[in-house]
Amino acid sequence: MNIVWTAVTVAALIALTITNPQSILTVCLDSSAQALKTALELTAVYCLWLGIFRIAEECKLVEKLSKCFTKLNKWLYGNISEVASNYVSLNLASNLLGIGNAATPSAIAAIREVEHDEKLSRFGAMLFVVNATSVQLLPTTVIGLRASLGSASPSDIILPNLIATVITSVIGVALVFIAYGKPKKAN
Amino acid sequence: MDYVVPVILILVLVYGLIKRVNVYDSFVLGAKKSFDLSLSVFPYLAAMFIMVNCLRASGLDVYIIRFISPPFKLLGVPSEVVELMLLRPFSGSGSLAILTDVYKQYGVDSYVGRCASVIMGSSETVFYVASVYFAGTRVKRTGFAIPIALFCNLVGGVAACLLCKVL
Repeated sequence: MNIVWTAVTVAALIALTITNPQSILTVCLDSSAQALKTALELTAVYCLWLGIFRIAEECKLVEKLSKCFTKLNKWLYGNISEVASNYVSLNLASNLLGIGNAATPSAIAAIREVEHDEKLSRFGAMLFVVNATSVQLLPTTVIGLRASLGSASPSDIILPNLIATVITSVIGVALVFIAYGKPKKAN
Repeated sequence: MDYVVPVILILVLVYGLIKRVNVYDSFVLGAKKSFDLSLSVFPYLAAMFIMVNCLRASGLDVYIIRFISPPFKLLGVPSEVVELMLLRPFSGSGSLAILTDVYKQYGVDSYVGRCASVIMGSSETVFYVASVYFAGTRVKRTGFAIPIALFCNLVGGVAACLLCKVL
């Protein structure tokens, strides 16, 4: 990330210096402002879902959810702590229901629970890939945009989209199994 | 589908009440953590946005796209959507802007427009998600996680273009 980020940014800055030097500061500051705006929007989203998750935790709803996914979690991640398993189940449920916003805070919580080294373990890699390739039942943003631009049938992309995400999920999980092997059975 | 979120919210709140959990206090306790979380994500987002926006402002991205279009064409990806596939891993809002451009230029219901739709729906902002997920942890080396996710994006894009031809 260090090399990629620096190389791309320096290349872009050199090109900008040649073509349009006075725009550089504006572009950079606009980008930081955009990041701040995104972070604030994320705060609003996390606020709602972390609050709701906390209630669900305290009334043992999360535990019940986690029990439903025990087998799948074991197969994907191997033996993980109860806390991690709760977060992972929340994450999976959010993804399946198409609430990507709710999937993020639970994934972050799971990663903070498990990952303590500089090197990402198999668990983090699997969780990341599962989220990056998650099956999408309804791509709501895209359908909404299509409808607003006057598409004759905005939702006719649901089927190809579903198939495409199933393909990427299967390949993604398979690749993690190939790269990292099966999860360790014992702790 | 519009009912998923409201039903979940009501269900959790009512169930909490039945189980005699202090719903209000729990909500506040959970929500409290949201600020720390997004605060730790912010610098990573800033770095990402600066890189992407400088690249787009400099016009270098056009050359990169011209350079990598031919191999994508071999895989059946029309050159009109290559920019979308390229930017998608970095920026959700940026790729949404490109998607809108594609719709306006080629038509929402055209083959290219449908390809772009499925590419958008089936891929993920890999680098963005990585920076959000790993911010605030000690993780520096992410191993195979990002390459695998990027490869899946590519497969998803190629599959999208194929599927839009037959479906």
